[in-house]
Amino acid sequence: MTGTTTTTTRDPGSDDRAVAPDPPPAAATGRKKLTKTQRRNLRLGLMFISPWILGLLVFVVYPVTYSIILSFTRYSGLLTPEWVGFQNYVSAFLDPLVSTAVGNTAFYAVLAVPIGLLVALVLALAMNRNVREVALFRTIFYMPSLIPAFAMSFIFIVFLNPQFGFFNQLIRPFGGADVNLLGDPTGIKIAIVLMAQLGAGNAALIFLAGLRNVPRTLYEAARVDGASRGRQFLSITLPLLSPVILFNLITGVSGALQVFTEAFIVTNGTGGPDSGALFYMMYLYRNAFGFAELGYASALAVLLFLVGMGLALLIFFLSRRFVNYDVNAA
Amino acid sequence: MSGTAVNRRTFLGLAGAGAVAIALPSCANQRSNDPNVIRYWGMGAADTDKDQAVADAFAQTPQGEGVRVDISQVPSSGNSDMSQIITAVRGGTAPDIWWIDRFNTVQSASIGLLEPLDPYIEEFEGVSAEEYRQQWVSFAVDELTYDGQLYGLPTSTDARGIMYNADLVSSIGLDLDMFDPEQHVLTWDELADIAERCVEIDGNGNYTQFGFAPWLDQGGSPYTYAFGKGAAVYDNDATTITMDTPEWLEVYELYAEWVERFPFARVDAFFATYQPPNAPPAQTVMFSERMVMTPTGPWQIQGNEKYAPDLDFRWTWLPVWNEDDPTYTWSGGQGLVFPRGTEVTRTKWEYMKFHAGGPGQTIIQPMLGNLPTHLQTIADGAYNPKAQFFADMLPFSTSRPPLPVGTAAWDALDRARQSVTLGSASPDEAAATAQAFVAPKMDLFPGFQMPDTYGQPIDLTPPAT
Repeated sequence: MTGTTTTTTRDPGSDDRAVAPDPPPAAATGRKKLTKTQRRNLRLGLMFISPWILGLLVFVVYPVTYSIILSFTRYSGLLTPEWVGFQNYVSAFLDPLVSTAVGNTAFYAVLAVPIGLLVALVLALAMNRNVREVALFRTIFYMPSLIPAFAMSFIFIVFLNPQFGFFNQLIRPFGGADVNLLGDPTGIKIAIVLMAQLGAGNAALIFLAGLRNVPRTLYEAARVDGASRGRQFLSITLPLLSPVILFNLITGVSGALQVFTEAFIVTNGTGGPDSGALFYMMYLYRNAFGFAELGYASALAVLLFLVGMGLALLIFFLSRRFVNYDVNAA
Repeated sequence: MSGTAVNRRTFLGLAGAGAVAIALPSCANQRSNDPNVIRYWGMGAADTDKDQAVADAFAQTPQGEGVRVDISQVPSSGNSDMSQIITAVRGGTAPDIWWIDRFNTVQSASIGLLEPLDPYIEEFEGVSAEEYRQQWVSFAVDELTYDGQLYGLPTSTDARGIMYNADLVSSIGLDLDMFDPEQHVLTWDELADIAERCVEIDGNGNYTQFGFAPWLDQGGSPYTYAFGKGAAVYDNDATTITMDTPEWLEVYELYAEWVERFPFARVDAFFATYQPPNAPPAQTVMFSERMVMTPTGPWQIQGNEKYAPDLDFRWTWLPVWNEDDPTYTWSGGQGLVFPRGTEVTRTKWEYMKFHAGGPGQTIIQPMLGNLPTHLQTIADGAYNPKAQFFADMLPFSTSRPPLPVGTAAWDALDRARQSVTLGSASPDEAAATAQAFVAPKMDLFPGFQMPDTYGQPIDLTPPAT
């Protein structure tokens, strides 16, 4: 946080040894003419960020533009695209599997995002304890996030095995028949939600950075005032963490809308029992590479992009009520 | 900050090195310019020895002298995920010859993924494709035909029946004669009663031994029983998708009735316990003698001989609805195709012809346990003798309909079956959903016609040479 410090700003690209006085503004255009040094610095700056610009153009701008154009065509990836107007978008609204995939994805997002935030926050609080072994704890808590989704999926398949899996070992003493959670349309979604929590370490690190930025003086003042630990958490920690919560919420929603890998591996790409784990991205992939309908898949991708943007804007709008960017106002 | 010139040079140098690093691996996978090298995407890793045996035999022929076949195992034969082959064709790194799941050939041809064979047959064989195709079983060639052109040569085929463990049947006290295909064809009602007697349950209500359920193994696709009810996916005359007809409803109702007797969740838990997903091939409920019967095909013979040579597995017909109904089955299999962009040379053509023709099929089919599609090879009996029961089915067998929406239809049927067995949809609803999913896709091919020979009785007489 920079709210409690005084800083001076200067042009980050300027060079003290070569600073020339700025020429008077060009009255006719209202634009400043760059000095020789500034032009050189601009060229250098552009050159240094050119890999990023190139990456943005090649890997983001071009594919997104291409995908938007393809969404108005019928295209297999091999023959010449055929312009079909909005037909792909109309088909998306009539396709019974799109509604199934949207429902599954919404189910996942509604569960996985809040649970994920909670788990990450709890992990971050645990990582933030002032004990000697904190480095060890941080490593242990973060370690599951390093396991690739592929390996994690297989671990869960074993974990949920009806005969020797831990889950059925737990319920067996209560006399219930063995359950194959991965064979049930709802059970498999819950399993994938649980699986996602093992990757909460990344969000926890961001929470941890936020926690470390909360001034300790605020807690000391609260303790002097007789505030309990719960009150300190609610009145200091949570408000000051709200920008981090907003960040993790938006990235969490974005990730939830694109859930793919775990479901693809657990169901072998089929979408699971009764399409129970057929998430939106899986169905998009199936259309692109199973049915070779790249135009239709692009339309689905554009719709997902619009929905994702809409949700992000909605969250930003709603966040005005709960996000606090000012430490002094806490 | 040091001098600008140095930074610029360094930057340009690094950029150049990066470009070379990207370019080198992509060049390494380009199609070979060596006319004596054939790049072949073949069968899965467990069957590489079969492909290799054919390649070695080809090398001994005058046409194959000095020719090297580079065999790669690519985990897709086009059955569900075509990303590898589409990417390879787009990137110019596709194989010269691809071993394809034959059922997907029409769809692959319709999206421009394959080269038609007709001009090469005329150029290299001096006959028309129509005449040349007479050497193979007609349903297999139909699956490789799109828009009147031939897009591949068929390799293996199969058929479907019920495999049962004769020792288990006897130990349960069932009459083995009822399973003898020479004496009897089981009806669904008979099979349901038999399946009830096979079941063993532990104290927690879990199945520890199971008899049969129609959705298991090859029964997972409603196609398997649809041919017994005359249910068809496509009406060639009306040129429409027909996935919600009364015949399809009867197939789904069959599943629904069995689920009432054998709850899906319990059967699923039984399978997940004793034959979990991705289990090694030796770990099956049949090999562990936990299950008495399963719908499968001749490819199973190879596994039986390898993993359970001491178990007495035998075969009988797929069950019929009524006592006098005719027996039925369907056949799948693979073929060889030239992906788009292949520079078809005489050498490549000769290899495809050798592999899919008599010499190759004579080598490969006995090893696989499957059946040949080459008529002379069938007449020569060049297949595992244990597959004779399936060879006898070929005259009345047929393939799945060769449609450009074949994968979508397959998916839709599978989902409809799952909805019924899991109880999330009634047979009516499941059929309607399948129809609603596939029909719009087929509308993109107005007036599409399957070959006239599709669904007709099969003549296994080899053409006169």
